[in-house]
Amino acid sequence: MAAVLEFEGIRKQYGGWFTRRPVQALDGFSLSVEAGEIFGFLGPNGAGKTTAIHLALGFMRADSGRGRLLGRPFGEARTRRRVGFLAENVALYHRPAAKLVQFYGGLNGMGGARLGRRAKEVLELVNLAADSQRNVGAYSRGMLQRIGLAQALVNDPELLILDEPTSALDPIARVIIRELLLRLKAEGKTVFLSSHLLSEVELVCDRVGVMHRGRLARLGRTAELLHSREQSQVVARGIEGSAFPGAVAGDGVVSFTIASISQREVLERIWSLGGEVVSVNPLKRSLEQIFLEVTQPGRSDK
Amino acid sequence: MKPVWLIAGNFLREQRWPVVILLGWVVFLTAAAGFSDLRRTPEDVFMLFQQVAVYILVFSLFFGASAIRNELRTRRILAVLSKGISRRQYIAGLLLGIVLAIAIYCLALGVAGAWVLPQVGVPATRFGVLLVGLAVASLLTACLALFFSIFLHPLLATGATLLIVGAPLLVEVVWSSPWAALIPVYAILQGFLNLSARTTPQTAWLILLALGETALLWLASGWLFSRSDVALAVE
Repeated sequence: MAAVLEFEGIRKQYGGWFTRRPVQALDGFSLSVEAGEIFGFLGPNGAGKTTAIHLALGFMRADSGRGRLLGRPFGEARTRRRVGFLAENVALYHRPAAKLVQFYGGLNGMGGARLGRRAKEVLELVNLAADSQRNVGAYSRGMLQRIGLAQALVNDPELLILDEPTSALDPIARVIIRELLLRLKAEGKTVFLSSHLLSEVELVCDRVGVMHRGRLARLGRTAELLHSREQSQVVARGIEGSAFPGAVAGDGVVSFTIASISQREVLERIWSLGGEVVSVNPLKRSLEQIFLEVTQPGRSDK
Repeated sequence: MKPVWLIAGNFLREQRWPVVILLGWVVFLTAAAGFSDLRRTPEDVFMLFQQVAVYILVFSLFFGASAIRNELRTRRILAVLSKGISRRQYIAGLLLGIVLAIAIYCLALGVAGAWVLPQVGVPATRFGVLLVGLAVASLLTACLALFFSIFLHPLLATGATLLIVGAPLLVEVVWSSPWAALIPVYAILQGFLNLSARTTPQTAWLILLALGETALLWLASGWLFSRSDVALAVE
């Protein structure tokens, strides 16, 4: 698959002019996002996620390294016409929603009846059609987030870059956005999703990257990351719970976690004890556990 | 070109209150002049027009100095610059917005002047030329302030602009040097500041010089802004 967004050894430092202590926001950051996937971009505050996004959109320049957006170097205005962006803490002009969406569409070179139709379409997509004539200044935070998404979608982008799109949304709106993202993926669009809502990311993302201190600390397919290769979950019946350390008994079965490498040995022991193996599966972890493992190694063990 | 006009229109919309306030002031002054006995108080009438001319220049200075900072402060610039527009187009849009604001002011002042000033001995055509000079001087001032605001805080950008615009006045007063016309804001504005029945408008070459400098500053601002980081560290 072709890469739609690439970072190669990007470094970016803030401050350092006499007064401010320099902060290394990105430190040799490399990543490649493939066409047609929903990519989850995770990391604690200050990890460099927003800096990476701002570099991709040409808001700032890297100190060193190379980046490409839809095959072109970062910062080209024409390339951005094929991209949609929703910023964290969305800030938009105070005017009626329909006019606002048309304004942003106009900045991307759209116009005429096509723009009017598209603005109506995206307002319906984000469930704001009934409020399209209301001034955005009177919108709630959740509605602002949705109108922000509408302006990002107005140009029917090939790549959608979303920085915390669901942070202010209620559960119903979150479901709407989740379904929208999956629909965009089905249409062949690429979504680059930066979020702290790990459960959302877990549900929609094909691949996940975890940033830590300006570098990509973990990268992989979501399903693979969530299933541990090192540990397995064993469920057996007909044995005592005390036979294996950490085993939990309930509903007539005993379940416990083992190192995958010792699987054969453990299974033979169950059989030798007269037990029956019900299932052996790779241990399912949550994204939160992986996140903590990467960003706070000591804490994840607890 | 469409995005430039959109940014300009949006700028004017965002600055609608300062525009309306100054327009209201022009209407008020015109009405005040209209109801007074003009022939007996021509000096007062001239002073009112001089005052409005200075206001237009000062408003232009503030528009230029605060245009980018306002967008950065509110973070609205991110949604705009994420679209398919270049930084040069963005700067052009802001400048066009300032031109539109200046044009509205000058038009209102022109209408008022065309009604009031002929009654005190200033022909409307001569006042028209003075107005063109005022508009160009205001545009150059705004462009200077916009240029400085790319790398300075708006207050410092305002100070730097005043220094550059005011330096020729010092040069002229102290040395009576022709170099005073190098940044011709003051030289052009003199026509307005000495407004009377005998005022002669500024020469055309001063206006052309100011327009040339405005174009150069626009290019320099676009170049500089395209090399500046617009997003501050948020994390």
